[in-house]
Amino acid sequence: MAAGHKPLSDLLDEMALKILMIEPGDLSIVGELLDLIEKLLPGQAAADTPMVIQRMAAAFKGALEKFIMGELADSAENYDFLGQCITEMQESARKEGRPGEKILEQFCENMKKIGFSLQPSALLGANDAASAGMDKAGEAALGEDACAVASPQIDSIQAQAPAAEALPDFLQDTDLLAGFIEEAFEHLESIEVNVLELEQSPDDQDIINNIFRPFHTIKGVSGFLNLKTINRLAHATENLLDDVRNGKRSMDSAVIDIVLTVGDALKSMVENIKDVLQNGPANYKDTDISGFLANITQLQEGGGEAPSVEPVSAPVADSPPEIFEPEEAEPLASEEEAESVAAPSRPTPPTRAAQVAAAPRAELPAGPAARPSADSAQKKIGASIKVDVEKLDALVNAVGELVIMQSLVRQNKLVSRIADAKLTKDFSQLTRITSELQRTAMSMRMVPIKQTFDKMIRLVRDLSKKSGKKVDLIMEGADTEIDRNMVESIYDPLVHMMRNSVDHGISPPAEREKVGKPETGTVFLRAYQKGGSMMIEIEDDGEGLNTQKIRKKAIERGLVSESDNLSDFELNNLIFLPGFSTADKITDVSGRGVGMDVVKKAVEKLRGKVDVQSQPGKGSLFTIRLPLTLAIIDGIIVRVGTERYIIPTIAIQESMRPDRTNYSTVHGRGENLLVRGELVPIIRLYEIFGVESTNTDPCEAIVVVVENEGRRRALMVDELLGKEEVVIKNLGGLDVPGVAGGTILGDGRVGLILDLAGVIANKTD
Amino acid sequence: MEAVNVAQNLGQGAELAGKYLTFSLGNEGYGVGILSVREIIGVMEITAVPHTPSYIRGVINLRGKVIPVLDLRLKFSMNHKEYDERTCIIVVEVQGQTAPVQVGMVVDSVSEVLNIAAGEIEPPPSLGSSSETENILGMAKAKGEVKILLDVDKVVGEGILQQLAS
Repeated sequence: MAAGHKPLSDLLDEMALKILMIEPGDLSIVGELLDLIEKLLPGQAAADTPMVIQRMAAAFKGALEKFIMGELADSAENYDFLGQCITEMQESARKEGRPGEKILEQFCENMKKIGFSLQPSALLGANDAASAGMDKAGEAALGEDACAVASPQIDSIQAQAPAAEALPDFLQDTDLLAGFIEEAFEHLESIEVNVLELEQSPDDQDIINNIFRPFHTIKGVSGFLNLKTINRLAHATENLLDDVRNGKRSMDSAVIDIVLTVGDALKSMVENIKDVLQNGPANYKDTDISGFLANITQLQEGGGEAPSVEPVSAPVADSPPEIFEPEEAEPLASEEEAESVAAPSRPTPPTRAAQVAAAPRAELPAGPAARPSADSAQKKIGASIKVDVEKLDALVNAVGELVIMQSLVRQNKLVSRIADAKLTKDFSQLTRITSELQRTAMSMRMVPIKQTFDKMIRLVRDLSKKSGKKVDLIMEGADTEIDRNMVESIYDPLVHMMRNSVDHGISPPAEREKVGKPETGTVFLRAYQKGGSMMIEIEDDGEGLNTQKIRKKAIERGLVSESDNLSDFELNNLIFLPGFSTADKITDVSGRGVGMDVVKKAVEKLRGKVDVQSQPGKGSLFTIRLPLTLAIIDGIIVRVGTERYIIPTIAIQESMRPDRTNYSTVHGRGENLLVRGELVPIIRLYEIFGVESTNTDPCEAIVVVVENEGRRRALMVDELLGKEEVVIKNLGGLDVPGVAGGTILGDGRVGLILDLAGVIANKTD
Repeated sequence: MEAVNVAQNLGQGAELAGKYLTFSLGNEGYGVGILSVREIIGVMEITAVPHTPSYIRGVINLRGKVIPVLDLRLKFSMNHKEYDERTCIIVVEVQGQTAPVQVGMVVDSVSEVLNIAAGEIEPPPSLGSSSETENILGMAKAKGEVKILLDVDKVVGEGILQQLAS
């Protein structure tokens, strides 16, 4: 019955990752969090989810809804508390739903800090506490003043009031609408990427055109589809950009900010349309765009001048001309927006413009007025089509089979007896074609990591503006290719680590100057291939980790003992342990009460490794090592009796026929081999896999010395058959300890790929 | 699941009527619903997988896809029989935990596809222990023979999917 439900711990882990990523003002992640938490609610959760956790989830959901309604302050602090609530839920899950009272009290305490009162007893008993909370969340009509008081850094919730007006008539042609949504997302994505590129080369007319065009398209199509609000916003922005194209004004930071915020707003509006399409018109939300419109008009009227800016220390300035306060916007709002203004409506990033002053390189020189033809600009974007992943997999499978069949035909006894030069030539031609085909098919899964890296530019830009730090992001090797299945999974951990580097690694400019560093900090983001691995490095020139603090903390938590003599490297890497993620913080290391262990888990899921090197005062270097693709593994094929197994090459240290003088036993059982002065336990593969072996004497067989998680073992096999890159396939539902998967070998049969961790654990048991 | 089956059985097989692929194990005739059958292939070399129940013979390469194969004789605790040229693997598709999975079932020989009417189906006999009969949807009398109609989801589900869960 558990089908379709993710395990509880996975869900909570996912939530922990999400909460790390929340930036004040970024409600989309709160939404994602809401989706996750709903899977834990009473009635929807997996049957084995403890009631306590379901009740906690219900309370949590109530709090989240308050965030969305703008009733609770959208501040980093509050998200920290939410993070701790998740930690407490994780803790409860670990205790199998019987958390001590202390945990529940902490949970309620944290909830209270956010402004969501809750009694511990409610979590244990009747579950109406949660529903009561939700009711409260429903009464959204808090005055704006109250909100302003509640959160000094009201940054940017976009509380969208439900539309009281009759539903817009855009729902008539749902097919067209679905197409538009898809298209619009792509356009918006390209706008963002291009804008960020523009920051690097502000004079580039091509890029300006590339930004202009999608707005134009969105405007056109949305007008056609009767999406009035989107149309008007896109139209206004297009006008502004047109001025830029015609040289009427320069592409300065104010324009860039507008374009970015409008892009965000459009994205959430399109998101909402999608929601309406899927879940019915009741979900329609009207978005207040008057603030944006006012802002754009203001910019246009101001001509080429940059708008006035406010110092960063006062994010919510009293009244910069382009402030997005709803009450100011009201006079401008048309009837369709009037309704929404009644509710606390705070459109997306209002203060971005105000923070421009603090950002490095934000002022951009005016672009030249020349307008190159649209064609030349278009060429830069490589043509591509979207393909269903399943089709791609089917193709890769089919090509793999083709290669195998080809070699089977070739090895056919009758065929191989034909001594015909033409046939031999044709065969080698065929081989060339099939291997080319295979290479291409494989490379279709690979995409440059650029896509993911590009999102980091935006992240660092926003982070540095918000924190008032000056940070340069230098990216190298963005063209490095990575398995497309990994792209999404690597994004979250990467974001967390980048945040970590900017938030905790880099100090504010003043402090940096004090210690004699340039006031602009640098974060390097590198990707490159090394051997069969993809390496991603995140390096900052910040403070580095406080190794002594980590040690103290580790001893407190009982992770290491006072007498343990650990190197700095070992100590620093303790931050990846789960124990470090809970409760109180080490200021310069951890973030939200949930921590680096989530990163580590995410990376390990991809069969990767992560570690950190740090020099106090000089900076830290986080290194992620990932396999190039999840689909292929480099392995040595070994024979044991009649069976063949594949051992991952990465784990193999050496292989040999043991000398009898090096062989020893303990109590006649535990077998060991002396390899280069170190005793290595022998594992007889045929024994643990229960197959017949040719050799039962290790000194007549071959041993392969492997290393896994610091443990070395000598695997006894009959023969080494060769080295091959094999495609990993799952065993169609079988899950076997010691076996990582299967693969199709050259003769068409299935070979099993060893999972060394499993093999070693199996033996140890 | 249970409840549905009971209801079906009480309904004297009205729900069960339809086309069945029949095959034999020893002297007994069996049938599986044609809708869950993907294909029938000759027996091929099977790669043994360690640490699995004995009736799971291992895995095969089905055109680039690795699928598990179980031996129905062993599954039903019948004597093992050497595979010959009449031995077949019936590939069926059942709902796995997340996606449909294909599983091969080794049988002595495949007979034919029969159209079995509701009136020909009777509920499974009670043979004392329920574990023997819970794989069985019903008994069909067709062409003067008795065919045991198997619940593929149960047979394979028990064999493979629970293994996955453990």
